[in-house]
Amino acid sequence: MLRFTNVRQRLTLWYVFVFGLMLLLFICAATLLEYWQLTRQLYHAEIQDIETAEGLLAFAPDGRLVLHEEYHNHPQSILLLDRYMEVLTPSGQVLLRNSKLHGQDLGGLPFPDEGLSSYHERRVRLADGTHLLLISHIHSIENRPLLIRLAYSSAPIKHGVLQFVALLMMGVPPALLFAGVAGYRMARRALQPLQKMALRAETITANDLDQRLPVENPSDELGHMARVFNELLQRLQNSFEILKRFTADASHELRTPLSSLRSVGEVALQRLHTAEEYRDTIGSMLEEVTRLTEMVDGLLSISRADAGQVALHLTTFSILELAREVVALLGLLAEEKGQKIQIEGNPELYVNADRLVLQRGLANIVENAIKHGPSASPISILVARNDNYIDISVEDRGETIREDLRERIFERFFRIDASRSRQAGGSGLGLAIAKWAIEVNGGSVTLQAGQHGGNFFLLRLPAASSE
Amino acid sequence: MNILLVEDERKLAEAVAEGLQGEGYEVTLSPSGEDALSSTRRSRFDLILLDVMLPARSGLEVLGEMRRTGVDAPVLILTSRDSIEDRVLGLDAGADDYLVKPFAFAELLARIRALMRRNAPAAPSSLRLADLTLELEGRIATRGGRKLELTAREFDLLEYLLLNCGSVVSREMLAREVWKQVMRYTPLDNVIDVQITRLRRKVDGDFQKKLLHTVRGVGFVLREDER
Repeated sequence: MLRFTNVRQRLTLWYVFVFGLMLLLFICAATLLEYWQLTRQLYHAEIQDIETAEGLLAFAPDGRLVLHEEYHNHPQSILLLDRYMEVLTPSGQVLLRNSKLHGQDLGGLPFPDEGLSSYHERRVRLADGTHLLLISHIHSIENRPLLIRLAYSSAPIKHGVLQFVALLMMGVPPALLFAGVAGYRMARRALQPLQKMALRAETITANDLDQRLPVENPSDELGHMARVFNELLQRLQNSFEILKRFTADASHELRTPLSSLRSVGEVALQRLHTAEEYRDTIGSMLEEVTRLTEMVDGLLSISRADAGQVALHLTTFSILELAREVVALLGLLAEEKGQKIQIEGNPELYVNADRLVLQRGLANIVENAIKHGPSASPISILVARNDNYIDISVEDRGETIREDLRERIFERFFRIDASRSRQAGGSGLGLAIAKWAIEVNGGSVTLQAGQHGGNFFLLRLPAASSE
Repeated sequence: MNILLVEDERKLAEAVAEGLQGEGYEVTLSPSGEDALSSTRRSRFDLILLDVMLPARSGLEVLGEMRRTGVDAPVLILTSRDSIEDRVLGLDAGADDYLVKPFAFAELLARIRALMRRNAPAAPSSLRLADLTLELEGRIATRGGRKLELTAREFDLLEYLLLNCGSVVSREMLAREVWKQVMRYTPLDNVIDVQITRLRRKVDGDFQKKLLHTVRGVGFVLREDER
């Protein structure tokens, strides 16, 4: 079986098929119309003829019915007449039968009321097989009602119709050919942008994700597809860049404690030390080990979340209660800096989430606020309902983070001021972990500028359907 | 006290063995599951430390085999995979506790003591170190006859340190046992450090002899000698 794998060929084939079908339907309709019209014309001619013939009929003195045909100047002209004619009494007795019938009967016995009110039309077949279109009419001569039947052969109609069909059919192959060529070209033209896109897409690799597919006409379907693909490429490019930055940052962040470990160890071995000094050296090395461990644990948590391997233990709980718990846990840190944490909201707002994971996320955000808020400044936490969501806002009075960095602050190892915050003891993963902890529970977290200066973290979680 | 340590990573095994011997335990090292099984057939152990990732036979298989052959010593599983499934599998296979690698040595000691204590008599009603006394029932802490004004958390913290008197406790242990947090994370470490600083001010502030010490890189310890 022939298979057309290519869309252009398939489109063209369908096009030609449908076009041919339409053409055939058209030819059939035209033929039927032609046939019907020719038949009408013939019946019409017969009516004219029957009227003439009626005028020429008369009873001869001997009582025979005769048709006056002596008006022909050339007697042989009679032979040109195609008329078949029979005259009967209403009871069926044949009074006249013209020579063309060669003695065969035309239409058999009359049926009741045949030709009485108007011209009666029907098709008959002679004994020799000739097909005729017959007209009957009752006409009175000398007060005697006569049934006149007059017919013409339908062969010329058949012939004419066949010629008509043949003529139309002759036009079909060139029309189909033309349609095929035109259709193929049209399909090729329409699909050309697709081919260009495919060519371009083939050349795009992970290294040049900044390339885009050509958009020929942004408003048509292919243009729409190209735009959608371009958006996909944009997202891929963004993810790749984040991944690239992450890989670079991670190796840097992991290398820092490793090189401290190495230097501290090497320096300690350079000369003899007191036991106290050795103890200090080992302690310092262990601190770096702790940092490394924390980092690896954090990365593992996030990458598990990325791979969708986190099994959540969902429970329904009051979000204000959780926030109070986090504040109770971390309040000591704020107290040390003389900060006051205000917490407000409706305790009847519930979420369905993994409590531990969410607690960790919220704790990281609150700790961030404590760390970056100045001494003796207020930190406010507000829990409020927002349609089908619950908003938890954490606002500090620290230095407002530049708008272009507000999204990147949630990236792994992103630091606004690298050396300063590392000394502050952060692993660089706090907010990244907070982000996954909130997102894995179906929520989102964004950073905005605070109303009183400072930063405004907005956590949005889907509200649990009230029981 | 006789401990069987089944661990194929030689460096880690030797370090742990040395540490345990330093604490007064007798340690038998076993580098593979087969070796461990023949050791348990030869002699009796009070505790078995079992690595899950062993060559040839997995630690869980070995554990199953031991339990079938009638070894009833408590088993502490060491695993580098901290997924829930592993823990459940380990406990199902007959382990008494598990510890995730990399673990703090102080934590390992605490777990071993906990497993040994299982059949020990009930906790005392008061704890004491030098001139520091903790009345557990009335929750009263005194040092040198003077009452210390402690918050509830500070009292819990001091109680835990005193219970493990002489041994170093890590931040991880404090997070779990005193703060009752299942997960440990960075903000909590900072809280623990601040809390220890405050407790130290109250316990040692006015006294010549310091009791609460920080062991750099490891944790904290309550003890008399300065070392």
